[in-house]
Amino acid sequence: MLRTGMSALRLQPPATNSALQKNLKYSIDSSSHLSYCPMTVTDAMLLQINFKAGKPVYLQVVDQIKAAAASGTLQAGEPLPSIRPLAEELRVNRNTIAKAYTELESQGVIETIPGKGCFLKANNSPLKKDVRRKLLIDEIDEAVVMAHHLQVPRGEFLEVVRDRLDTMAEKKRANDDHKPD
Amino acid sequence: MSEPTPVIEIKGLTYAYGRGEAVHDFNLTVQPGRCYGLFGRNGAGKTTTMKCLLNLLRPRGGSVRVFGFDPAKHELEVKRRLAYVPDYVAFYPWMTVQETLDYLASFRSHWNRETEGHLLNRFRLDPAQRTGALSKGQKTQVALIAAICPEPELLLLDEPTSGLDPIVRREFIETVIGAYQEGDPAKRTILVSTHLISEFEGLIDEFTIMDRGRDVLSLGADQARERYQKIRARFSQEVPSIEFKDALHVRRNGRELELIANGGGAQIMEQLRSLGPESLTSEALTLEEVFVAALK
Repeated sequence: MLRTGMSALRLQPPATNSALQKNLKYSIDSSSHLSYCPMTVTDAMLLQINFKAGKPVYLQVVDQIKAAAASGTLQAGEPLPSIRPLAEELRVNRNTIAKAYTELESQGVIETIPGKGCFLKANNSPLKKDVRRKLLIDEIDEAVVMAHHLQVPRGEFLEVVRDRLDTMAEKKRANDDHKPD
Repeated sequence: MSEPTPVIEIKGLTYAYGRGEAVHDFNLTVQPGRCYGLFGRNGAGKTTTMKCLLNLLRPRGGSVRVFGFDPAKHELEVKRRLAYVPDYVAFYPWMTVQETLDYLASFRSHWNRETEGHLLNRFRLDPAQRTGALSKGQKTQVALIAAICPEPELLLLDEPTSGLDPIVRREFIETVIGAYQEGDPAKRTILVSTHLISEFEGLIDEFTIMDRGRDVLSLGADQARERYQKIRARFSQEVPSIEFKDALHVRRNGRELELIANGGGAQIMEQLRSLGPESLTSEALTLEEVFVAALK
């Protein structure tokens, strides 16, 4: 088997990143820790498994791929990484990934084309909005709890949120201006 | 449909070295397609159990079945369907890597040459090197290649990664997932004994904790992480003195409380929430933490 240069598609894991960071979409990662692996992995998705989440591992994979679909990180018709490289990459049992893909297929999120692999389905819109919302709510809940612990009152909290939205929007504008395209 | 025959079924296994009992009334069932972890401290009886599966030791009591056969009576039938990587690997030192693999292949009815080539490449092993000159990690790699190429239905790994460097350990596990698990899942069963639990965390879907020759706990990995939770609470005042059902290792320190829930985590969280804590968090225990909690 030929060694190929590897690039990995980085997917922002929903649990640890704010919703706005998802604007970053793809970042190409050619990190060196992969370079000893001679498998022909192209575009392996970097999902994150957290064994302390108390959530079955296959469900973590399901939810992260749904989140990627909802945020647009993964586009309709795009292939999902095949089971073997993804399992190796995450160092989890192949059966776990297979179970996650079976679940995604039965929920109508992905489809398997024999001999070609799994692809994100075009019309997965019904779950999109829900998933988006759910992701956002999880993140907001954390901030709300933190605000409570720090004894930040409601008005001040909302003000901070508005402030952050403005700051991010400004940053994004500045970024767009600097891009040659 | 009838239940498939378990790949491994051990009932009431007892073994003693002289007077010292190493395994006592030990039970283990591994279904086809599982990656099963056998966790225990040094001297818990893991290797003795493995050796009973291979007919390297004769049990004093109880029964051992592999693919439904007694390894003592049907040694050939059992051994041609499994491969074993021991914790200490020894080859004839004057043979080269290739000669060693050819020699081991000669005992097998099936040997995947393509996989052999891939893995030699992957581990950057020189087929012309004498095995006597290999490092411990490289010897383990050769043993792993020899175990995977026959594509056995059962892979027995006894402390396979102890004493190896982190890169070799990672490669080892990735190879087990990638190269071994390739193929019909129902014919790819793994039993791995280890005390380096965190490395195998993602691979293992069921496990037994063994202590002083006995099975202490057998559970699915996801169930274990759901059942065992570390709960922490901080109060504005001294921690109220309350009793918790199903809680292990309750620690109090002034305003702080930490406990491990063994099931019933939701009720304990509810109980604590009603006391109005300043903060309240819970997280699942990793398998390594479950292991420590079970043996404390």
